[in-house]
Amino acid sequence: MSTPERTTEMKMLPGEPGTSLPAAASAAEIVSATSPVRQLSELPKDELEHLAEEYGLDTSDFKTRQALVAAIHARRQLIASMDRDAMLDVVKWGRRPVTLNATKEQIAQEIARIGSMRFAGLSQRGLVVLAKMRGLNAAETDSIPLLIKRLKRQEGLFSKLNRKRRSFLGSLVSNMIGEETPSEYQFLPPTPNQPLAGQSAPIVAPPHPASLKQEIEESGLIGGIAGRIKKSADSYVNQKLDEIESRIDRKLDEIDRRLGEWRDKEIANRIRILKITLWASVVVGAVSLIYSYIVVNFFTPHRIQPPLQSPAQTTENVRSQ
Amino acid sequence: MPDIDFFNFFRWMLSIVATIYATVITLQSLWGWYIWFQGPDKFITLARRYVIVQGLRLRFKTFWGDVIICGLLCIAFLLMWRLHGLIYARAV
Repeated sequence: MSTPERTTEMKMLPGEPGTSLPAAASAAEIVSATSPVRQLSELPKDELEHLAEEYGLDTSDFKTRQALVAAIHARRQLIASMDRDAMLDVVKWGRRPVTLNATKEQIAQEIARIGSMRFAGLSQRGLVVLAKMRGLNAAETDSIPLLIKRLKRQEGLFSKLNRKRRSFLGSLVSNMIGEETPSEYQFLPPTPNQPLAGQSAPIVAPPHPASLKQEIEESGLIGGIAGRIKKSADSYVNQKLDEIESRIDRKLDEIDRRLGEWRDKEIANRIRILKITLWASVVVGAVSLIYSYIVVNFFTPHRIQPPLQSPAQTTENVRSQ
Repeated sequence: MPDIDFFNFFRWMLSIVATIYATVITLQSLWGWYIWFQGPDKFITLARRYVIVQGLRLRFKTFWGDVIICGLLCIAFLLMWRLHGLIYARAV
């Protein structure tokens, strides 16, 4: 009678960015995962759809639940096979806030949020990644014009018109309120629980936003202005928090300095009391010494010794007794 | 009638009472601080560490004059104690 072979199932949390492959993992380490598909299929439909949207998938394209699960799984494998540096190129170009040690899935989720159609400044490998994330078939050897052409072709007519309209509005608004030139992209500070992937990232401020025109073009008039106001408010709050922090630091330094002074004064005071006590002891001791000397040398009867006698006188005294 | 040396009586009583009083007060204070610093409260832990840091930051140079005087006074006191012993040894 043979015992049935037991299979061990690897449990993975679906859709959890922290459970994805480490950022430094190479494509060679990627293994085909069957368990996550089963785990994904156990998720509720709304969570599945949310997960698909986070990976840049259009849920309306997938009629059945199985198709959606398969698409998410395929997208995950696609992300795992992507070049991380190329993904970072896209993030820099799209000015998305990520840390330098972010995982591939985190970077991919940020890339999926980029809706810009201005491809200037994006490298060829970045374009390949962007095209793949937008559901296009792109080879590593495809040229930049070809990739841009495909990306633009993918955008529908109405989407293009809407984008143009938003771009026009953005131009108007930015002309009205003025525009500041965007600074160079900077990564977010790395999170403490995530080790750095290969190199150390400088601690810097969050990325400076793109121009207002581009924001309005991407998010619409209200969304763009709201985003800009939110960022301005965040910046103001951060500045105020920094001021409060520095004020607290100054107060703490002042308290520390005063406490140090108080400690020194207190110790000096204690030592002075000890010194006075010792002086009193020494003075009393000196008086006692003089007194003892006088008493012992002048008033003690033991000190009066009889005069020394010769041995002959001693013998005579004994005989007479 | 017993022959009582009043100065002798005074200095012995003074030394005994003062020594016992100072010892009890010092031990009481040290024990109180020890118990307080042993407290499990987060604030107490913070205060304990802070006191340790303050103690480590102490510089001898700040109080060296008084400390040296105290040391010399202690030596003088011990010498006088020794002289007392020598004087009474001579008397016996």
